[in-house]
Amino acid sequence: MQLVIHNVSKKYNKSKYGIKDFSITIENGILGLLGPNGAGKSTLLKMIATVSKPTDGIITLNKNNIIKDANYMRKQVGFLPQDFGVYPNLNAFEFLEYMAAMKGVGGENLKMRIAQLLEGLNLIDDAKKPIGTYSGGMKQRIGIAQALLNDPKIIIFDEPTVGLDPEERVRFRNLISDLANDCIVILSSHIVSDIDTIADQVAIMKNGQLLTYGNQENVIKYVENKVYEVIIEKEQLSVFKTVHIVVSTSRKEGRLLVRYISEKPVDMSKSKQANLEDAYLYLIRTN
Amino acid sequence: MNSFFTIIKSDYLQRTRSYSFLITLCASLAIAYTFVPEPNTNYTTIRIADYVGYYNSAWFGYITAIMASVFLSLVGFYLINSGIKKDIDLKVGQIVASTSISNFKYLFSKVLSNFLVLMTIICIVFTMSIILFMLYNDGFPFEPFQFIKPYFFITIPTMFLISVLAVVFEVLFGTYSVLQNVAFFFLFTTIMSLSAKTGSDASLDFFGNDSVLRNLEEKVREISKSDEKPNLTIGYTMGNRDESKKFHFNGIDFPTKFIFSRLVLILFGTIIIVVISPIFHRFNVKEQAASKKLEPIIERQKVIKEISLPSLPKPQINFAILPLVKTEFLLLLRKGKRWLWLLNLTGMILLAVLPLKIAHQMVLPILWFLQVSRLSDLTTKEITNNIQYFSLASYRPISRLFVSQLLAGIVLMLLTALPLIVRLGLLSNFSEAVSVTLGGILIVVSAALFGIISKGTKLFEVLFFMITYANINGIVLVDYFGGFEHHSYYMLQISALIIIGMSISFIKRNYQLRQ
Repeated sequence: MQLVIHNVSKKYNKSKYGIKDFSITIENGILGLLGPNGAGKSTLLKMIATVSKPTDGIITLNKNNIIKDANYMRKQVGFLPQDFGVYPNLNAFEFLEYMAAMKGVGGENLKMRIAQLLEGLNLIDDAKKPIGTYSGGMKQRIGIAQALLNDPKIIIFDEPTVGLDPEERVRFRNLISDLANDCIVILSSHIVSDIDTIADQVAIMKNGQLLTYGNQENVIKYVENKVYEVIIEKEQLSVFKTVHIVVSTSRKEGRLLVRYISEKPVDMSKSKQANLEDAYLYLIRTN
Repeated sequence: MNSFFTIIKSDYLQRTRSYSFLITLCASLAIAYTFVPEPNTNYTTIRIADYVGYYNSAWFGYITAIMASVFLSLVGFYLINSGIKKDIDLKVGQIVASTSISNFKYLFSKVLSNFLVLMTIICIVFTMSIILFMLYNDGFPFEPFQFIKPYFFITIPTMFLISVLAVVFEVLFGTYSVLQNVAFFFLFTTIMSLSAKTGSDASLDFFGNDSVLRNLEEKVREISKSDEKPNLTIGYTMGNRDESKKFHFNGIDFPTKFIFSRLVLILFGTIIIVVISPIFHRFNVKEQAASKKLEPIIERQKVIKEISLPSLPKPQINFAILPLVKTEFLLLLRKGKRWLWLLNLTGMILLAVLPLKIAHQMVLPILWFLQVSRLSDLTTKEITNNIQYFSLASYRPISRLFVSQLLAGIVLMLLTALPLIVRLGLLSNFSEAVSVTLGGILIVVSAALFGIISKGTKLFEVLFFMITYANINGIVLVDYFGGFEHHSYYMLQISALIIIGMSISFIKRNYQLRQ
């Protein structure tokens, strides 16, 4: 499987771009797409899922241009949008059967696949109740189930962990890890911890453009030997922030323990092992 | 008080800054253009026996004011009857509920916002009436007061009442738009028949037309020197224009009793809002629904278990659209309250037992109109329910999903009309049976087309309402179900409309998908 996005742009008007000259080649494995709100992650994912079309550039899957032949992609994509709804009068079984029919899959195994997905996503006990009665987390799991219905070869999850509690997030990450063997999984988030434990590759976006793309080690290299911790007075924080990139702060005996990124550390600082979150913040703030 | 007006202003701006409102304004312009017929056209709108007025300021002002009062009452309700539902859908309601605004203030702000929306349309109609006067007038001077006065006393209070009714119906029937549509349909019909019988009882003259119409009748009686009450027609009457005689109408001085009755109407509307305020759900909709029927699910254990995806049964490729049609049909069936199906079943029984003519000409259009809310979002429900990303990413969304939506709608319409179709078949009235079938298909195609064009449900609901009202008043021009005509040329025309409607729907849907 190979997904190539070549010089793709999505232009809203003369000067406003959702995505600008975006190029990336994705092969089997998990790609974590990171970026702040408004970076263009959802816009990009919708174009890959054939929900919207780019104004420029091409997207190919296994050398097939999916802008011209969207149905080639639709046959093998599983897409979980960031914000989606359900038909409240249908129950989980009916809704998933409907989704399967939309995707063009069926047959004798479908009912069993739906039942096993619902079982795995812990929805089987309530599968005959109208989805309108489901909680937010249950609806999110219905969304995950529909994305996996057609045995997809390319799976797109846009902010999938929204609405899931911490335990469910961990389970969901395990689920995704299982998927990545023979297909492409693209997972977007603005929460780095959703990505760092499972993504083979990481792409960081801002303002519709790709800032960096590579495996986690390569991305982390941007901040290697630049991450420190220091204890400062609370009153010093606002001035400190103007000089350094502050990653996090925590209280320590009435003072503040600050993790920050800087070319030159302040006195008494301790060097720390850089991680993906440091690299993400560094790239977002410096670009 | 400032915050109250800010709420009204914001609500008004939210509702008018939309594509569907733009369409509404265009439709209003088009309708207003027909209120006073162009001198050479072959129809009349208000006619007293063989008489129509000279095209002076008074005739233009009063006639357009009366037409606006009646027709905007008919369609205006459907344009504004979802103000509270919008707040529920957009989740603004929960924020409103947590503020200190009282139920009355909130509901009254909705009334005023509704009123402003209708007044915007009235302004368009008013401007159009002046433009038409400039274009068609018979050499009479422009008298602005003859335009302003009838709109002020006739149209504006009626629009206020419609604004109140829209809010009242939303409070009483909650989010069940089917009930609102049906209840207003019958209320409007009742009001129309009451207005026709008011005589001198101004309190029952909801549209405010009675004083003017009686004055017109008296004028014609004087001219024609007849003691008999002249036959007065309001609405679009075709083909009698050439026989019209003309008379001078110079407006009327509205009696004090009439002016008082219009003020009472406004006061009455405000009092109704005070009365219903305590029973307003204040956006506790889900909880109310849950307490009656559906209890929200509380999970005991809510973790995702281990799923081995590679070992899940592999589904097969299946591009058949039958499963889609089945679910689309289920969605149509389950829309609205269940007991509404009792109404449908009653209608179906009436189709089977009433005399054929009544069943076909009266029961069928009403029974089909009862499906208006099921059909109106046939092609827009993906957006309303926010599942459009799934449908857009589906395999062949036009030739499979869209077609299945049309088929499900057609099945519903034919199922409801089945007793009549069977009866006609048994009587070997095949052309009538085909006409009914074509009528059902045409309505479904129209629902799809207007949904796609307007990206909402209102346009279809308003048009279907107007057509049904015309149907039960026996207007042959809008007979889409072969109730009055069913010869082969008629069927050809309906078939052509279906093909045109379907083609435009396919093209437009395809265009939307490409964006």
